[in-house]
Amino acid sequence: MFRSPAVLVAGVVLTWFIAAFLVWPNANVLIQTFFPDGNFSGRAAEKLFSSPRAMKSLGNSFLLAVALSITVNVVGIFIVLVTQYFRIRGSRILFLGYATTFIYGGIVLAAGYKFIYGDKGIVTGFLVGLFPGMDPGWFSGFFAVLAVMTFATTTNHMLFLTNALKGVDYQTIEAARNMGASTWTILRRIVLPMLKPTLFAVTVLSFLTGLGALSAPQVLGGRDFQTITPMILTFSNSPTSRDLAALLAVILGVATILMLAGMTRLEKGGTYFSVSKVSAGLQKQQIRNPVANAAVHIAAYLLFAIYTLPVVLIVLYSFADGAAIQTGRLSPGALTLDNYVRVLTQPSGLRPFIISIVYSALAALIAVGGLLFVARLLQKHRNWVTSAVEYLLHIPWILPSALLALGLILSYDHPNPLVGGAVLTGTTVILLIAFVTVKIPFTLRMLKASFASVNSSLEEAAGIMGAKTLYVFRRILLPIVLPAAAAITALNFNSMLDDYDTAIFLAHPLFQPLGLVIKANTDGAEGVDGVSNTFVYTVLLMVITGVTMYLVYGRAGRKKSKPAAAGGISKDNPPPALVEAAPAESVRVP
Amino acid sequence: MRRLKTLIAGAVAVALLSGCGASAAAPAPSGAVTGPAAVAPSGPPSGETLVVYTNSNGEGRGEWLTKKAAEAGFKIEIVGAGGADATNKLIAEKNNPIADVAFGLNNMYFEQIKAAGAIAPFTPAWAAEVDTAKGDQSDSKAYWPLVQQAILLGYNTEKFSADQAPKDWTDLWTKDEFKSRYERVTGLGTATAQLVFAGILTRYKDESGDLGVSDEGWKQIEEYFKNGTPAVAKTDLFARIASGETDMGQMASSVIPEREKSFNVDVETVMPSVGVPLAIEQVALVNGTKKQDEALKFIDWFGSAQVQGEWSQQFNSMPVNKAAVASAKPEVVEFFNTLKQQDIDWNFVQKNMGAWVEKIELEYMS
Repeated sequence: MFRSPAVLVAGVVLTWFIAAFLVWPNANVLIQTFFPDGNFSGRAAEKLFSSPRAMKSLGNSFLLAVALSITVNVVGIFIVLVTQYFRIRGSRILFLGYATTFIYGGIVLAAGYKFIYGDKGIVTGFLVGLFPGMDPGWFSGFFAVLAVMTFATTTNHMLFLTNALKGVDYQTIEAARNMGASTWTILRRIVLPMLKPTLFAVTVLSFLTGLGALSAPQVLGGRDFQTITPMILTFSNSPTSRDLAALLAVILGVATILMLAGMTRLEKGGTYFSVSKVSAGLQKQQIRNPVANAAVHIAAYLLFAIYTLPVVLIVLYSFADGAAIQTGRLSPGALTLDNYVRVLTQPSGLRPFIISIVYSALAALIAVGGLLFVARLLQKHRNWVTSAVEYLLHIPWILPSALLALGLILSYDHPNPLVGGAVLTGTTVILLIAFVTVKIPFTLRMLKASFASVNSSLEEAAGIMGAKTLYVFRRILLPIVLPAAAAITALNFNSMLDDYDTAIFLAHPLFQPLGLVIKANTDGAEGVDGVSNTFVYTVLLMVITGVTMYLVYGRAGRKKSKPAAAGGISKDNPPPALVEAAPAESVRVP
Repeated sequence: MRRLKTLIAGAVAVALLSGCGASAAAPAPSGAVTGPAAVAPSGPPSGETLVVYTNSNGEGRGEWLTKKAAEAGFKIEIVGAGGADATNKLIAEKNNPIADVAFGLNNMYFEQIKAAGAIAPFTPAWAAEVDTAKGDQSDSKAYWPLVQQAILLGYNTEKFSADQAPKDWTDLWTKDEFKSRYERVTGLGTATAQLVFAGILTRYKDESGDLGVSDEGWKQIEEYFKNGTPAVAKTDLFARIASGETDMGQMASSVIPEREKSFNVDVETVMPSVGVPLAIEQVALVNGTKKQDEALKFIDWFGSAQVQGEWSQQFNSMPVNKAAVASAKPEVVEFFNTLKQQDIDWNFVQKNMGAWVEKIELEYMS
């Protein structure tokens, strides 16, 4: 593997990057936290383990993580199957409904569900009318948090599982059916096993989402179901308690890494691509049992309603005044454009939007572009060096972003040889570096999963014909994983648009991104307008992220039937994924 | 192959270029933490861009100040952040400061920043016009007071008459009629919440107690959390009062008039016999700023009776500058004249607040 100069160059750059931006800053912040005056202090552990609240919240976070890993998979696989695998009436409409999770999240999403199922919610009002004895506060606690987070976090399934499903060779399904296999058997024995690498990757992400749950428990958890993240945030903000925050974060981080190791072990040794010489594109399956067919249709449309109602209400409420939003009373006459006028006519105007779009786009492209080749190397060559590198690249998952930001300040507020003697604080680059590093683990996981489903015989054939590593990568592998890469880029881009935790510490004073402006306009202490501003910003962000997803997906969907433009060896016989890959060319990384 | 090479070359180039730019733009900071207090030189402002950190930029304050400053010849760039975030940011950046001036944080925050050496002592031109007891208590003064706010317990007058209302915070959990009728906080991250607890704990000062507070004092905190209804994220206390979910809770004096109007409720505040805690927003000069002279001129202008008076008029606040009080709103001045300030040992509070927050978060919140 070290014979190729490209591999060597990538190795050197990667080693430098890991040392300079992942290991050194975070080691600094951890050392300063746990060894305040040169001696290790066990204070943090002692304090935490003797606190019933901390232990209970930590337990709740783990409970949520485990439960989410299951429920998100169930719902996620279901919605992917009904939109892509089974023949369901109106599946494109269903897809749009399920895709609403692409464009919003966080506190507003939780608020949206509360408008519907909370004690003053629409559905609750209806149910109380039917069953007068019912508790109007039924939608709270663990069940409510789990339900909302399950429906809110199927985004990764929708994107990556859909891609993986399109790579399944239809001939294997036909063959199974010819041998008399039922719909269910085909699904369980042929389709799902092919999706394993992606399923493992999205399961890790669901687990991580559960561990880091913040806004859903705050809004819907009530007294009995609070999670650990709010405590981590409070403690990381207080210099005297930062060791507690770091310890809690490390506990969550280690759990994530263990989960990751478990999944990697499960994934090892499997073959996740079709070995047939000529693979065929997937065709939608009719559910033959009429009862099952009706049940699936009903479930699919029920889910559609669950997914879309909160979005509709959020958009409606964004035109109402702050008092109406907070008291849950909405009268059609009270909807005005005032909120939008107020937000959009601020002196700062569109500038923060543009700054955030530029930062997010750059970071998303750099993270995906930089990791494409790395992910392939890590996926193909499995030895102790590559697994060490892989685990090091997951460091940003271990620490909360506030601590990552503090680590960068601590390490680069003076001339540092690791970056050629430069001072990075106070420059525009340091925020970009933070954005890129924060996105590395997610990007790497998803890219690795998509490389795992590439048929290695394509690569071998090219190798035999004399193609070099980079040529094979560029002309064969890249086109196949491009849909996934484009999806990752889009998700990374969307997730950084409203970042506050990193930007607050690292942003250049003259180039303040949107997150800081949103915070200034929406904080609890900022008056009644604050809440309506939150809704307006959410809707504006929905528009930006919606456009992003359209650029990546909408166009890809429309041009589906056109022949693949990817040339080279695979031209005459493109794998199914290639057909999807070609239209996404415009968003190809530089 | 070419594409990947270009990519790597591009990445390296970006890294190198940014490195060069940064090292050129950031000479090592100079200036010691202690030393003689700086004063502004005479002369008009130079118009250099000043970076100003503040937690007091919401509700149009940031825009108003930027505009007014520009009229006076100062070019300022406001960076808004919550009190704790701004504090951490100033401390983290102390080796290579980015800000020139910081304002809006209260004395608890500025005391932490001063202890870290991130702000420098100075004397503003308006030093004689403010009560020094409201600013930095030490001899080498590194922050000076601008605006004061009272941290109050407010109740819904529809539910309680003045006679029936609680007389003090401690009534909330000792008298049955108030139990579960008041909102209690779910986090201690905000300055308002910290000041409420400072006001309660400081009454139970006991050298031999845990963190300087007697068992009796900690018992109050336990009861506070046990008997209150938890606050709801992103739902204002006034919204909950309006819908009848709760009847009272903590509030800062400046927000009351506007929220009463928005949520259509009438709130009266409690005046305990020990008095109420005041949050006093301060202004400070960042240690190691490269634009010290301009920063000092800006502070002289901003804290002057003229500007503070206009600010108070605009944002319903109570200025510390005695010469500015005349221009503040009469009802605000009247309210502060009748108000008794609680006598709080700020040294004691500042020394212990971090540990108190930690203890409360770990042991009493549920």
